[in-house]
Amino acid sequence: MTPSDPHQPPAPSNGLHLSPREWCLVLAITVVACWLTPTLWTEEVPGGDSEHYRVPDPLNEDYWFFERRTGEVPEDQVAALGDSVVWGPHVASVETLPSHLSRRSVPVANLSLQGAHPAALAGLIEHFGGALRDRRIVLHLNLLWMSSPRHDLREDKEFAFNHPQLVPQFSPSIPCYRATASERLGNVVRRNVPFLQWGKHLQQAYFDHLDVPSWIVEHPDRDPLAALGGALPGPSSRPTEEPVSWTERGIRPQGFQWVDPETSLQWASFRRALSLLRQRGNRVFVLVGPFNEHLLTVEGRIGYQRVKDAAVTWLEREGVPFLAPRPLPSGMYADATHPLADGYKSLAETIAGSDPWRAFVGAP
Amino acid sequence: MLFHTWLFLVFIAIVLPVHLALRRTRFSSAFLLLASYVFYGAWNPLYLVLILISTVIDYQVVRFMERSAHKKRWLVVSLCTNLGLLGFFKYAGFVTDNLNVLLRATGYELPQPDVLLPVGISFFTFQSMSYTIDAYRGQLPPERSFVRFAAFVSLFPQLVAGPIERAKSLLPQLRSPASVKGQDLADGASLFLVGLFKKVALADWLGIYVDQVYGSPEEYRSAALMLATFAFGWQIYFDFSGYTDMARGVARAMGFRLMVNFNNPYVATDLGDFWNRWHISLSTWFRDYVYIPLGGSRGGSTGTYRNIFVTMLLSGLWHGAAWGFVLWGAMHAVGRMLLRPLERAPVYRDRVPRLVKQLLIFGFVTLTWVFFRAQTWADSTLIFSRMFTSGWADPRFPLTLLFLVLAVWAYQLVYSADGRGRRLLDAQPVRIALALFMIGWLLVVAQPASRPFIYFQF
Repeated sequence: MTPSDPHQPPAPSNGLHLSPREWCLVLAITVVACWLTPTLWTEEVPGGDSEHYRVPDPLNEDYWFFERRTGEVPEDQVAALGDSVVWGPHVASVETLPSHLSRRSVPVANLSLQGAHPAALAGLIEHFGGALRDRRIVLHLNLLWMSSPRHDLREDKEFAFNHPQLVPQFSPSIPCYRATASERLGNVVRRNVPFLQWGKHLQQAYFDHLDVPSWIVEHPDRDPLAALGGALPGPSSRPTEEPVSWTERGIRPQGFQWVDPETSLQWASFRRALSLLRQRGNRVFVLVGPFNEHLLTVEGRIGYQRVKDAAVTWLEREGVPFLAPRPLPSGMYADATHPLADGYKSLAETIAGSDPWRAFVGAP
Repeated sequence: MLFHTWLFLVFIAIVLPVHLALRRTRFSSAFLLLASYVFYGAWNPLYLVLILISTVIDYQVVRFMERSAHKKRWLVVSLCTNLGLLGFFKYAGFVTDNLNVLLRATGYELPQPDVLLPVGISFFTFQSMSYTIDAYRGQLPPERSFVRFAAFVSLFPQLVAGPIERAKSLLPQLRSPASVKGQDLADGASLFLVGLFKKVALADWLGIYVDQVYGSPEEYRSAALMLATFAFGWQIYFDFSGYTDMARGVARAMGFRLMVNFNNPYVATDLGDFWNRWHISLSTWFRDYVYIPLGGSRGGSTGTYRNIFVTMLLSGLWHGAAWGFVLWGAMHAVGRMLLRPLERAPVYRDRVPRLVKQLLIFGFVTLTWVFFRAQTWADSTLIFSRMFTSGWADPRFPLTLLFLVLAVWAYQLVYSADGRGRRLLDAQPVRIALALFMIGWLLVVAQPASRPFIYFQF
């Protein structure tokens, strides 16, 4: 074999040799297929027609599914966006805040994702929330995300946080996020190409969150095509975490290292999320907390109040309808932020009876 | 920066059009050098110091050679520099380990050097050395332009895992760039697609199974160990030849023709044939700069066998600083010595069907991969012993994967037979369907986060 013989065929070891015209044809077919496949893809969503439906736990990072789900929610319904406080891990799906609100006021769809901190929520709304345009939205503000530099994603030390695909990949910089430039680029591309998101959806919905080759190696006896024809994960109608109060869990009072809202990344992200929604013609109602203040030490309460006051002042200044309800009774919390079933019920009653909410939903 | 990453996609989207715009200008080599250093520096900017040392020394050595009556001394300077860099960064730990074993009885222990193996050092040092050796032999005029020479040493498509290009092939292409036509771009895209498919769809998939089995061989029985070894043979082929295809594809789109580095090695009919098909740029390097200078096949059987043995041993050592690699090279050398008389026997040559020969060579090569892949010597021996003695429990090897590998093998066998089957594979609908299948597989099925290329560790 002599080096670099220009007369050698371009691919003697594989034989694939396409002309420019053939490449154009291949690319055209690929583009059309990539455009059509996610659009035409249909699947049965078990329990999807229930008014208490919430995104199943296994699909918590399936943004293609989230996008499709938001499109399926009737336009007259209010959409509740937020993290696990709205999702309700300690309660059944019929006992979540959106469910209680639906029973006491107007229908509210639970479109929250667990672990959707404000930076992720802003990304979720920006890239996958297009179908929410012009709707009424309840946006939850969980102040826990400002309770420490770590929660605020400003800790220098790298750590894994929820929904890294949704956060800003390049600017503003997130110190604890150490993905390679290529991974960040990949996330940007995936967020903008529905076909690639659909591919991720298949992995999460049908292949146990594994890529197909890994799944096949894990399950050599199973047929991947048959798996693809199976049902989506069922609805998470039961609690995914034990419904036990924080005192029973033995959680001790904490001070937290509340961050300065002026420099908080999560607070800035929340404002961005709100701004995105308003730009899209959404009417937004913000629910602040309620944080479990019983769990705070004296110093912790001072820091919390400073952060809460800053948020409330800003919302007032911006003319955003909001409610910052008083804390629930101590026994109604599972931890620092998550109410138990009674807590959600009580909270829903408070919200439904409040003037800002009644004005928001147009109730007499 | 790996070829199958989004970062590379952005990189090439910027570099390719600029390169095509500049390739007829005097800035062509300078831009290529800049792009190549950005590509290489993306791993670690400190690596650039090493490649610069190798480049400056070899460029100057050949300039001095031109004016000197003692050319050999300058050649020694080049060889010592390149092999010194390689030796220190690649073999210092290995040498220290072995010296410590010898020194154990004295109670003295040498400190373990804390050095990181720079990506691609085995490739660019060999490429650079080929320039000085060819210049010493008078087979190559000295390159006047330092920038062009530096671009030759560091040309990014083949910088980190070859092919190890020769100066007499690549420097003229840098000096007088050929025009780039639509067909070059199409050929480049074809090569890149095939390479990407081999790497991401096949090698990485096989790697999942291989890692499981080779990670804890004591837990697996004969069938699994055999299949994992079979799978590794294909994994390393798909991985390395996939990289080469991508490198050649990128280079082709830029107007450069890199040498073919793999030519269906698993259809080889003898071991010599295998090495003419596997990592061709390295085999020919060792042939031209080690085997032939040692005497080649001119010294009778004993001399030939000795030369084969030394060359294969060095080739094994080139692949890695571990006794497993040395043994792997030695096994190939012994294999060539033992099979050579058989291969020359008229009965074997004329009567034994081609397919039987191919399977024999494939079987031999596959078994030698055990030493290449096993983590330790103890693992190698364990795998070999359990492979034939531990019973035939279900290996749980996915049939889909087995089918895919066998389909590729069948494709290669049909393609290399150069008959009607090949004409069928060359038919337009088949080629288009294959391209669509590979793209679809990569987009939907293949895992998004891939592993690094195996050959980068060398």
